[in-house]
Amino acid sequence: MAAIPQTVEALTRAAEPREGLRAAVGDFIRQRPLGAVGAAIILVMVALAATANFIAPSDPLETDYAAMLSAPGAEHWLGTDAYGRDVLSRVIYGSRTALMVGLGASLIGAVFGALIGVGSAYFGGRVDLVVQRVMDVFFAFPVIILALAVVAILGTGVGNVILAIATPMVPRCARVVRASALAVREMPYVDAARAAGFGHRRIILRHMLPNVMAPLLIMATAFLGEAILLESSLSFLGLGVQEPIAAWGLMLRGAAVEFAESAPWMAFFPGLAISLAVFGFNLFGDSLRDALDPRLRTQ
Amino acid sequence: MAFYILKRLLAIIPTLLGVAVLIFLLLRVVPGDVVEARYMGEGGQFQSQDLMQLERKKLGLDQPLWKQFTTWMAGLARLDFGISMWTGAPITEEIKLRFALSLQLAIMASTIATLLAIPLGILAAIKQDTWVDYAVRVFSIAGLAMPSFWLGILMILGMLIIFKWLPPMVFTPLWVNPWENLAQLIWPALAVGYRYSAVGTRMMRSAMLEVLREDYIRTARAKGLWLKLILSRHALKNAILPVLTVISLEFAFLLGGLVVTEQVFNLNGLGMLFVEGIARRDYTLTQALVMLVATFFLIVNFVVDIAYAWLDPRIRYR
Repeated sequence: MAAIPQTVEALTRAAEPREGLRAAVGDFIRQRPLGAVGAAIILVMVALAATANFIAPSDPLETDYAAMLSAPGAEHWLGTDAYGRDVLSRVIYGSRTALMVGLGASLIGAVFGALIGVGSAYFGGRVDLVVQRVMDVFFAFPVIILALAVVAILGTGVGNVILAIATPMVPRCARVVRASALAVREMPYVDAARAAGFGHRRIILRHMLPNVMAPLLIMATAFLGEAILLESSLSFLGLGVQEPIAAWGLMLRGAAVEFAESAPWMAFFPGLAISLAVFGFNLFGDSLRDALDPRLRTQ
Repeated sequence: MAFYILKRLLAIIPTLLGVAVLIFLLLRVVPGDVVEARYMGEGGQFQSQDLMQLERKKLGLDQPLWKQFTTWMAGLARLDFGISMWTGAPITEEIKLRFALSLQLAIMASTIATLLAIPLGILAAIKQDTWVDYAVRVFSIAGLAMPSFWLGILMILGMLIIFKWLPPMVFTPLWVNPWENLAQLIWPALAVGYRYSAVGTRMMRSAMLEVLREDYIRTARAKGLWLKLILSRHALKNAILPVLTVISLEFAFLLGGLVVTEQVFNLNGLGMLFVEGIARRDYTLTQALVMLVATFFLIVNFVVDIAYAWLDPRIRYR
């Protein structure tokens, strides 16, 4: 027979559900196997990016004109490209570029989107109206067109590509955050903070922003995959990351299309890497949304 | 209702004006102009400044910004897009054939997306959390993950290896030779349609899941109605609206947003024209393109809103 809890503290402790990171992770894997697969893909990608120097069989920039366009084999597992560069090494190093651009763009987009969204909801009235109309203008542009316009202004390269991809994300993020923030604004604690005489900045940053983190997080995760895809599209058009940096979209450009018939590995593997990465982020993001949105839970 | 429609229609105008201001300014911030793009490109650094100044004057680029903008606006108000700064041809002529191509591709891709999304989404919802659900979700999320340009390369490669056939490289309009036209556009439409079906499938699945939990579905089940009848009569009707919305809105974006797919399949659509327009600093052409795509988007948006209000009696017109 289990000992009956004696003290009030012990009682409350026994009544609490077993929490902690480990239990949460276990639950997630059991209830959302697809999400767990996504998380696993993301972890592999992060590991590849972090250890690229050690595990890549050769320098991704090293050209070997004697081994141009050689097929996958013992020497080059995934073959070489038109400059004799090792495709496997370039795919591994490419994960760095993809993660950097994806995380950078999502972070910048989420931060500015959240600030604009919460601010717009908090001030309401005319401010809200103006902000919403400006957002509407941005919404009328297809994402890639907006990104291309920003690249045209700033130029190509990793940093500018991050900004170009973050730009279309800001209004999307702001809209989602604003919707949640409108509900948060009506909460008594916001009134209390205002009554206590706190400034606008403090109320927005300390009281409202933390309470719209859930939708923001979902949005940012979902956008990570989208950002990686957008980066590869821009690079594929020659308007993103520039040679000789290893980037997946860039590897699919030019010679990869020209020699697609005789050297299909050049186009196949980088595309597979993009698909897997985006697939992982989407699976994970989807499950995260399902887990946080109680309406969609299995009965 | 009439008042609501009018109000929504009028709301488009300020947004369009905003788009016009934004693209007008964005393009002017891009370094260089059409004259530089033309003469610098071919070792033209030696062109005299006077000549370039003369060219700018001819194109009206020497005028102050506000004047350039109002001239453009005055033209737009008369539906006159002006002439391309690069080719000198009327923009309507430049855009006509490309618009036909992009519109047809967008329609075909959206049709494919709808045909995939609705049955797959329903299937996944009914079989929630079974292997069928997982298979559908993996299929659709994979579609969302695969870049359409990669899918395009694989398709072209596959056709080359299996059928020893390549899609024709010159665009044939539907009214010239429908068969050749479809043989060319079906592949990019499949690549794009599959990709965009994913969002629709997810929406269909979650909308269906939500509806299936409603009381009236339980009542229908308790009455002993067939599942098929419940799904088609009770559930689908209520779940399909958001799905159609998502697909319509995507349809609007497909018109100008298929830059990369057009590049892979060598199609001269609006997306490629936009890239060319920016590279050549062809202000008038790029502005016209953006206005066209934005107007199209806003009108589709408007139609969806009205259709919503009309189809769903719970939505009131304000």
